[in-house]
Amino acid sequence: MDRNRRFIIGASIIVVAVAYLVYTGIRETSVYYFTIDEFLAERAAMAEEDVRVAGRVGADSIDWNAKTLDLHFELAEFDGGESVPVAYNGILPDMFAEGRDVIVEGNFTAGTLEAHTLLTSCPSKYEAEIPES
Amino acid sequence: MIELGSLALQLALLTAVYGIVVAIVGSIRQRADMVRSGRHAAYAVHGLVVLAAIALWRALLTHDFSLEYVASYASSTLALPYTIAAFWGGQAGSLLFWVLILMTMSSIAHLQNRERNAALMPYVTATLLVIAAFFLALLVFITDPFARLPVPASEGADLNPLLQNYWMMIHPPSLYLGFVGCAIPFAFAVAALASGRLSDVWIRTTRRWTLFAWFFLTVGNVLGGRWAYEELGWGGYWAWDPVENAAIMPWFTCTAFLHSVMIQEKKNMLKMWNMVLVLLTFTLTIFGTFLTRSGIVSSVHSFTQSGLGPFFVGFLIMVIVTCAALIAWRRPLLRSENDIDSFLSREGAFLFNNLLLVGLAFATFWGTIFPVLSEAVRGIKITVGPPFFNKVNAPLGLALLFMTGVGPVIAWRRASARNLRRSFLWPLTLGFATGVVIFALGYRHYYAVVCFSLATFVLATIVMEFYRGTRARQSLMHESPAMALANLVGKNRRRYGGYVVHIGIVMIAVGMAASSAFRIEVQETIERGQAFEAGPYTLTYAGLKNTDSPHVASMLAEVQVTRNGQPVTTLYPEKRFYKRQQQPTTEVALRSTLRDDLYVVLGNYDAESGLVTLLVFVSPLVAWLWIGALVMALGTVIVMSPTAAEQRALAAALAVEERGLEGAARVVR
Repeated sequence: MDRNRRFIIGASIIVVAVAYLVYTGIRETSVYYFTIDEFLAERAAMAEEDVRVAGRVGADSIDWNAKTLDLHFELAEFDGGESVPVAYNGILPDMFAEGRDVIVEGNFTAGTLEAHTLLTSCPSKYEAEIPES
Repeated sequence: MIELGSLALQLALLTAVYGIVVAIVGSIRQRADMVRSGRHAAYAVHGLVVLAAIALWRALLTHDFSLEYVASYASSTLALPYTIAAFWGGQAGSLLFWVLILMTMSSIAHLQNRERNAALMPYVTATLLVIAAFFLALLVFITDPFARLPVPASEGADLNPLLQNYWMMIHPPSLYLGFVGCAIPFAFAVAALASGRLSDVWIRTTRRWTLFAWFFLTVGNVLGGRWAYEELGWGGYWAWDPVENAAIMPWFTCTAFLHSVMIQEKKNMLKMWNMVLVLLTFTLTIFGTFLTRSGIVSSVHSFTQSGLGPFFVGFLIMVIVTCAALIAWRRPLLRSENDIDSFLSREGAFLFNNLLLVGLAFATFWGTIFPVLSEAVRGIKITVGPPFFNKVNAPLGLALLFMTGVGPVIAWRRASARNLRRSFLWPLTLGFATGVVIFALGYRHYYAVVCFSLATFVLATIVMEFYRGTRARQSLMHESPAMALANLVGKNRRRYGGYVVHIGIVMIAVGMAASSAFRIEVQETIERGQAFEAGPYTLTYAGLKNTDSPHVASMLAEVQVTRNGQPVTTLYPEKRFYKRQQQPTTEVALRSTLRDDLYVVLGNYDAESGLVTLLVFVSPLVAWLWIGALVMALGTVIVMSPTAAEQRALAAALAVEERGLEGAARVVR
C-alpha cells in the first residue's frame, strides 16, 4: 500500500506538471477569436488586445505597395456591411483578393488591426465551385 | 457502374448489420454456424466495398462529370496520379477510402485467426462491422459519393492545387492506414473484454497490427510535415494546426500503448491501463477523422462544413460508453497481479514514459478544442496557437527524450546502485559535457542546449548497449564483430529494433530543436541583378522565366546562390497559376544538405517596377528529421519481422488459454 501511495504521488507530480503547463500556456498565449460581426460589436472593449478576426476583404479596399510590402485593406462583414481597417506588412498570401474570406491575427491599435498574420484559409478550401455547363 | 457502386454500398450496410447480429448471437448461444456466417458477412462487406471503390475510381478515370464528386475533384487535364488520388481528395471519397482500408484489414485479420482465438473472433467481427456500418451509413444516407449533378458538368473543377503534390499521393493513404490500423487492436481489446479472455493473448495476437498501425501513423505524420514544408512556403513543417493535432494525438497514445504492453507481457501489470490506452487511441482516430470534417475548429486544411458532426459525436459517445461499461464490468479480471517495487526500475520508467505521452496527447487535445470549450462555457471564443503547443509540449517532449534513454536500460523491479552506475555514468557525463560545450560555444537557446545534451545521453546509452552486446557475443560465441552485431540484432529484434527506432527519435529531436531554435529568416525586395545575404549564403536575383501548359502557368525567378564566394547552385522559386481553380500557388525552391536547408520562396512580383520579393529561410539540420523518420521506419520493420521465438510464445499463450478455458469461464460467472 505504501508503495502504491508513493507511485500515486509520483504520477500526481506529472499530472500536476501537465495541468500547470496547460493552464499557464492558455493564460499566456490565448487570443480572442471573433467573426467580424462579433468583433465590431465588441470593438470598444478590444483596444490594445490581441485578437484573431475572421471576415471578408472589402470591395475596392486593397491598397498594396509592392516596394515596401505595406498592405492596407478593410476587413468587412460577410454581407459587405460595416468594416474595420487592417494594416499588414509582408508577402501577400496566394489567395488574397477582394471578396475572399481571410483570418487576421494581430493587435487592435488605435482603431486599426495591426496584423502580424494574414491567413486566407476558408472552411471550404477543399471544395471548389463547379463550373456551369 | 455508378448505380452498381451505390447499390454495393447499400448492400454492404445491410450485410454489416446482419453480420453484427449473427456474430454476437452466435457467440452467446455457442452456435458455430452463426459465428461462421458473421465472418462470411465481413468478407462480403469487404467485397461490396471494393466494388463501390472500383466504381468511383472508374468514374474518376473516365472523367464522368455527371457525378458531383468527380466534377468537384477532378478535371480532364489533371494528371493521372492525381486523378487516382482524387479518390481521397474530398469528403465522401475519403470516407469510402476509410471503409475500404478497414474491410481489407478486417479480411486479413479474419484469415489470420480462422483457426485460433475462437472465443474472441465473433466479437472482433462484430466490432469491426459496427465501425464499418457507421461509415457505410454516412456514405449511404449523408454524403453519397455517387450523387449525380442535376445537370452534368462539361468540365471538372479540379483537385485543389495544394494537393497536387507527390507527397499528397502517399501522405493521406499512409495516415489512413495508421488510423484504421488502430481499429484492429481495438477490436481485439473489445473482444477480450466481451468474452472475458483477458490474458495477454489479445495483445500478443495484435502486436504486429499495433506496430503496423504505429508505423504508418509515424510515416503519415512525417509525410504530412514534409508536404507542409514543401508546399505551404512558410519554412516550417509543423504548425499545430487542428488537423495536424488530430493526426499526432493517436500517435502519442499508440506509442504509450506499445510500451505499456511490454509491462503486461513481462509482469502481468497495467492490464486496465492498456485497455484504456487502446480505447483512447481508437477514439482519437475517430475524433481525428471527425475533426477534419466537422468544421468545429477552423483549420487551414479542413473539408467543407457538413452535417456529419452530430453523427460522429454520437458514434464517439457510443464507443466510449460501451467501452467504459465493458471495462467496469470486467474490472475484477483487470486487476494487476504485481505491484511496482521502486521508482528506479524499468516498470517505473515505462509508467512515467506513459504518463508523459498521455500528457502530451491531453495537452494537444485541450489546446485543439479550447475554442469550442471556451465558447460553450464563457460564450466567447478564445483560441490558442502554436505558442501554446510549443510552450507546453516542448518540456514534456524533453522529459520524454530523457526517458527514452532511461527506460530501455534500467533494471527491472529495482535498480541497484551498481546497475545505475554501469548504465548511466558515462552517458550522463557525455550528455552533460555536450551541454557545457554547446553553452560555451555561445548558444543560449536553452531548450536546444538541453535537447542536444539529452540526445547525446540517449545515443550514448544505445551505443553502449550495442557495444556490450556485441562484445559479449564475440567472446562467448567467438564471432567476428560484424557477425556478432548482425546476430545480436537478428536474435533480439524487438530489443535492438527498438533501439534503432530510438536512434531515429534522437535524430528527429535534434533536427526539430536545431531548425526551430536557429532558423534564419530573411525577406528582401530587390531588382534584377541585386544580391543579398541569408546566413552563410549570398543570393542573386538573375531574372524571371515563364512557362505555360493547358493545366498550369508558371513564373520562375532565377536565383544564383554562392557560399564564401563559391557558386553553390541556382534555384528557381516559382509562382504557379492553376487555370481551373483560378488560383496562384507558391512552389518553394529547396537546396537540402545534411548541414542546413536553403529554402527560397518567390513572395511577390511587381510587373510595374520589376521588383521581386524573395523570402529565404536557412534552417540547420532539418534533413535529420526525414533521415530520422527513415531510421524509425527501418527500426519498426526490424521489430515487426517475425521470429520463431515469438511464434512459440504466442502458441504457448494460446495453449494456456485453451486449457485454462473452464477455469476462466468459472471466474467470469
